[in-house]
Amino acid sequence: MTRFAKLAGSVAIVATMLAPVVASADDKDVIDYRQHLMNTLDHQSGALGMILSGVIPDKHMADHIEIISLVASLSPKAFAPHVEGGQSKPEVWSKAADFDKKMKDFVTGSANVTKIARDQGPTEAVNHILDALPCKGCHDLYRDPSKK
Amino acid sequence: MNRLTRFVASVAVVAAIAAPAAVRADDQDTIAYREDIMKTLGDQAASIGMIIQGKAPAENIVAHTQILALAAASALDAFEPKVAGGESKPEVWAQWADFSKKMNEFSMAAADLAKTAKAGGLEAVKPKMQATMTCKGCHDVYRQKK
Repeated sequence: MTRFAKLAGSVAIVATMLAPVVASADDKDVIDYRQHLMNTLDHQSGALGMILSGVIPDKHMADHIEIISLVASLSPKAFAPHVEGGQSKPEVWSKAADFDKKMKDFVTGSANVTKIARDQGPTEAVNHILDALPCKGCHDLYRDPSKK
Repeated sequence: MNRLTRFVASVAVVAAIAAPAAVRADDQDTIAYREDIMKTLGDQAASIGMIIQGKAPAENIVAHTQILALAAASALDAFEPKVAGGESKPEVWAQWADFSKKMNEFSMAAADLAKTAKAGGLEAVKPKMQATMTCKGCHDVYRQKK
């Protein structure tokens, strides 16, 4: 190995060590993907909120709840890679046990409300709706809305 | 009633007469609701695109196509009230027969795609993508991007 090759080798090693600071293309994909999920939750909660406040007919209420439940089911895995960035605070990973528990409760809760909305109709689902929308409890701890 | 009060009152009357040109609170809700649905379709289309490019987990295709189908099913009803605004062109309602035909076709294709994903996974979905994701065909005619 020439001295140049050795130098190039060490530069590459140092670059690899520094790499976690910079988001790679793959990291950007991880962030983009979980943001698509969170955006959908935001828009579907918005749609559901308008139905609950009576300004939009409830015909598609169960559809909106089911979408929330489906997105919830994908979310824990989307946050599993330790890739900081977007609006996620580092606490998502430093307090992973609590974050995972909250996510799992959301998955279970939203699935239950979907079943109620499909089987018993929108009126009964309203009584359980908060189980499908525990957004704030998580966002207060794990989201920084000032970031993009 | 002093002159200032009279003036304010007349401005209020004129404003009320002019009001139909402005969007009412109810209309804002109608626009916000359909925008929530269209943005959902946008994020889901992007997620499906990432899966096809290998940038997101392949097995998630089943849930995303289901979400797409559910959002598509609610989209036509969201446009039914004739409330111009947001990114919708007036042609949505001026050419309602064509618009609703396109929306219904999209909804049916999305439902079929969800079934396909459930039965055959990502590889079965890929050949049907182009025929299902007809977003541009509608947006070119009915959407004014802001």
